[in-house]
Amino acid sequence: MTTVIGNKRWAKKFPELGTAPVAAESCISPEFFELERERIFRRSWLCVGNVCVLPERGDYIVREVAICDAQILVMRGQDGVVRGFHNVCSHRGNTLAWDESGRCRGYMTCNFHSWGYDSTGQLKWVPDAENFFDLDKSKLGLTPVATEIFNGFIFINLDPRETLAEYLDGVTQRLTPEGFDQLRLQRSYRVNERANWKVALDAQNEGYHVSSQHRYLMPNLFVGTDEGCLRLEDVSFFNRHSVYTAELNAAYRPTPIEAAMFQIDQGPSRCRLPMRNVFEFYLLFPNFVMIFFRGPANDSCITHTFWPLAVDRTLWEIRFYGPDPQNAAERLSQDFMQVFNRVVFDEDATAHETVHAGLASRAKQHLILQDEEVAIRHFHKVVDEQVAIRNGA
Amino acid sequence: MRGGDGIAKSGGALPESFQDLGPFAHWALSAEVERMAARENSTLEELQVFYDAMMRRLPAIVEYLNLFPLDRMPEEAQRLLQMALSLNEVSFAVERYRQPRVINGRERARFFPGQ
Repeated sequence: MTTVIGNKRWAKKFPELGTAPVAAESCISPEFFELERERIFRRSWLCVGNVCVLPERGDYIVREVAICDAQILVMRGQDGVVRGFHNVCSHRGNTLAWDESGRCRGYMTCNFHSWGYDSTGQLKWVPDAENFFDLDKSKLGLTPVATEIFNGFIFINLDPRETLAEYLDGVTQRLTPEGFDQLRLQRSYRVNERANWKVALDAQNEGYHVSSQHRYLMPNLFVGTDEGCLRLEDVSFFNRHSVYTAELNAAYRPTPIEAAMFQIDQGPSRCRLPMRNVFEFYLLFPNFVMIFFRGPANDSCITHTFWPLAVDRTLWEIRFYGPDPQNAAERLSQDFMQVFNRVVFDEDATAHETVHAGLASRAKQHLILQDEEVAIRHFHKVVDEQVAIRNGA
Repeated sequence: MRGGDGIAKSGGALPESFQDLGPFAHWALSAEVERMAARENSTLEELQVFYDAMMRRLPAIVEYLNLFPLDRMPEEAQRLLQMALSLNEVSFAVERYRQPRVINGRERARFFPGQ
C-alpha cells in the first residue's frame, strides 16, 4: 500500500489553497454565471467528444455549446483531418446539419436554399449563383472553430489564447498516448439537472462522500481510515487542472458477481492506459472529467461533461469508453462495470439537485470543505481567478 | 413481470444445453432500458430467483457464448447473452440494495441514452 492514512495531508502539500470555507454565491448568482460565460467558456478548450466516433472520412457530430449560444459541427474531411466549424450556413445563417451525427457523402447541404459545403468546410455549390453580386465562394466557407485533439479527445475553443497543449500544461506529460487509440464509445447517457454546473461537478470531485453516499455499493472498496473514510493516494494540480488517484483496499471482499466478472475478464490485453494506480480522476478545466479504471486485462475510461444551460440548469453527459469486446466474456464484464457505474452516478445525481436547492435557499453562504475535498477547493479557486481576468491572459 | 406462465411469449428458444433457464427467457431483453424496466417492475423475490439460477450457470454460459464471434452469434445464443446482461442489471439490487430499485435513485427517469 502506498497511500498514507493521515489527516490534513493535502493542506500541507498545497498551503497556497488555504483551509477557509468556500463561498457558495458563485453557484447561485446569475451575474457570476454571465461572467463564467464570457471569461471561462468562451475562452477555454472544451471537450466535445472523441475521434473514435468519426472513423470514416465525412463523419461528423454536432455539439451544442449552449452557454456560448453556439452549435459546433466537428467533421472528418475527405483529407482525413478533423475540423470544427460553427454549424451555420454562410448565406443567411441557417443551421446547416440538423442531425446529431452523420456522414457527409458529397456535400453538406443547407435545407434553406441548398448551399452546399464539402467535408473540409469549403462552399462548393450555390444555386442560381449568377444572380448574386460579387459572390466569391472561396471566401464563404463555414466559419472555423479552433479544434485540437489530445489522445483522441476533441477540444474546441471559441476564442483561443493558447494552444491546447499549453492549456493542458503538465497533463500532457502525465497522460502519455499509449492505449488511447483502443478506446471506443460503448455507452452514453444524458442527464438534465436542476443544478449549477459546479454543484454537479463538485459532487464527483472528491472521495469523502464514497463511504456515505455509496455505502451500499462500494463499502471499503478503496483504501481509507479504520472508520472507512476514503484517503486519496495522491493529488496533483497542473495549472487549472487536477488529478487524484485512489488505491484498492486489499481487504475488500467482492460480491459473487463482482468476483465472477473479474475472473472472466481475461483479455486479450490490448488497452493499457498511462495509469499510476487503479483509479485516476482527471478534471480538465472547466467542465471535462476523465476517470480511468484499471481492469484485469484492459483499462477503461469514463468521461463526464457538465454543460451549463443556465445558472441552475446543467446537461450532464456521461460516456463510457473501452476497447471493442472480443468475446462474450469481455462484453459481459464491460457491461457489468458500466451498469455498476451508472448506478453509482444515479446515487451521485440525487445530491446534485438537493445541494443546489439548499444553496439557492441562501440558508448557507459557504461550503465547508475537509482535506479530502481539496480538489473542489482548487477548482473553485481557479473559477474565481478566471472570472476575475477581465481581458484574458 | 410478463406472463404468469413462467415462459414469456417474447422469450423464444434458448440453446439446447440451457433449457433449464427457459422459465427466465423473458429476461432476454435487447435494450438496456428494457432490462432496467424489468428490474424496476419485479419484486426482490423474483429478482433473487433469476439471479440464483443465472449465477449457478454463469461459468457454463460464458464458456458457451465465448464459442461465437460477437457479431455472428446465433439467435439462441444472443438470447442467452441478453439474459446474462439482465443478470448484471439485477445483480446490485439483489447483492447490495436488497430491493429492486436504487436507494435514493431515479434510474430510467434520469438516464437517457445519449451519443
